[in-house]
Amino acid sequence: MSLLEVKNLTYIYGKGTPFEMRALDGVSLSVEKGEIVALIGHTGSGKSTLIQHLNALLKPHSGQVLFMGKDINADKALTRSVRFQVGLCFQYPEYQLFESTVYRDIAFGPTNMGLKEDEVRAAVSEAAAFVGLKEDYFEKSPFDLSGGEKRRVAVAGVMAMRPEVLILDEPTAGLDPNGRRVILSLIRNYCTQTGKTVIIVSHSMDDVASLASRIIVMNRGKIAMDGSVEQVFLRSAELTKMGLNIPQVTQILLELKKRGYAVNSSVFTLEGARRELLRVLKEGGGAK
Amino acid sequence: MIKDITIGQFFPGDSFVHKLDPRMKLVLTFIYIVAIFLCQNFFSVGLVFALTVLCVLLSRISPRVILKGMKMIFFIILFTSVLQIFYNKTGTTWLDAKYFQITSGGVFTALFVVIRIISLILFSSLLTYTTSPTLLTDAIERLFSFLKIFKIRVHTLAMIMTIALRFIPTLIEEIDKIMSAQKARGADLESGGVIKRAKALIPIFIPLFVNAFRRAYDLALAMECRCYRGSEGRTRMRQMHLAFRDYFALAVTVCVVAAIVFFNIQFGSVL
Repeated sequence: MSLLEVKNLTYIYGKGTPFEMRALDGVSLSVEKGEIVALIGHTGSGKSTLIQHLNALLKPHSGQVLFMGKDINADKALTRSVRFQVGLCFQYPEYQLFESTVYRDIAFGPTNMGLKEDEVRAAVSEAAAFVGLKEDYFEKSPFDLSGGEKRRVAVAGVMAMRPEVLILDEPTAGLDPNGRRVILSLIRNYCTQTGKTVIIVSHSMDDVASLASRIIVMNRGKIAMDGSVEQVFLRSAELTKMGLNIPQVTQILLELKKRGYAVNSSVFTLEGARRELLRVLKEGGGAK
Repeated sequence: MIKDITIGQFFPGDSFVHKLDPRMKLVLTFIYIVAIFLCQNFFSVGLVFALTVLCVLLSRISPRVILKGMKMIFFIILFTSVLQIFYNKTGTTWLDAKYFQITSGGVFTALFVVIRIISLILFSSLLTYTTSPTLLTDAIERLFSFLKIFKIRVHTLAMIMTIALRFIPTLIEEIDKIMSAQKARGADLESGGVIKRAKALIPIFIPLFVNAFRRAYDLALAMECRCYRGSEGRTRMRQMHLAFRDYFALAVTVCVVAAIVFFNIQFGSVL
């Protein structure tokens, strides 16, 4: 039994109006425990709609979402408990921060779960540690923080519920390169330390390549590809057709290959590319 | 959900009704609403209703959308017409049960009320269905620009209206997003008593207001960057011209009003 399973999901926006749009069209997938899955796709491909089905914020027009084998839309109590077990963090922290202090904002989720005061405190401290927020931030107002810090508070607010599955919608969008690196390494640490499942929606192929073990590509409400990082990025021509890219380092290696250097172009991370280039240089692999 | 409300929404198109000058549409809608209440017998009310249906057909807006908009006022119509049937005791008695009577006057008034309300709603929603909010406020600004002589700042008021209308969909979308984000953290918006529910709105309204103020500030800055100084010396990108079809629509309306008056004199009142 998979941890999270989606069966033949269809969702239509504005059903019955002239603005009707099929956002999801027969989507099926399953996610196992401990996987790090990246969901990529062009704007309007249905990624956001899909993730909102995974914690029952949207109800499918047809099809099912199963969490640990149970239909999450079956009854209200189950839906509510699934919201805590499938933690969804939206792209913009501005839509979720509201409390007077950072501590109280992170505590919002755990408090809603009905945890006791000391359990809430433990959950908040743990989540804050995951996102690298020091305790002296706890009494600050979330509205006084920088963009990157706000994002970290928002992510912590979801992590504090200790979800089995953590879903992050564009966690690095709109951040500067440094903020981006910080967030990515925090997510990586979270995965290795907790072993929980993480689903990341992203536009950035570089982020995806360095983080995920599996990539799902969405196009026009359907799943276009589903496989390992290597399997997906090797189909670069199809990705380009969908308005997507492959990681920048891979593009460089492909270009080098085209110019006659004996490089292996199925490398997707900066570190991997460095090793590959050093190897080629050592072997004296100049242009032929 | 909130998104399903169609009253006041705009459906783009290029039908005869869409292309009418918004000023003319506004004036004609007003005349028409007055005309609906002038009707006193079935000839005139029938004529008005026929014209309404004709306009709806001309606008080429799907009847499904229009029926959906009418759904909300269905109960108002039902309630008022039932009241009319039981409380109006004029005319010949058709049915005399012990506790209530149904009379011709009651049934006629009820029918009249139904047709009037339906025509009224249909016609006024047709105005917003076929006119974009910006055009509509533009038209209002021009029609009321004579108020300038009373030192009323018509342009400013119209700009406020335009901006307010422009941001309604944005705010609705934003409420949706905020609600999703808070529900994802287990916010419970559906259960509990009044106080609990009111409290549950805090996590929704604080981000909404914070974002709205931030956006207002950004917008003001953006307008200032483009040297916006109100109406003073401001020309328009879209000039409005009355075309043949506008005069045609006006002529039809005048004829209809004349016909209503004629019918009223000729056939008397059934009320």
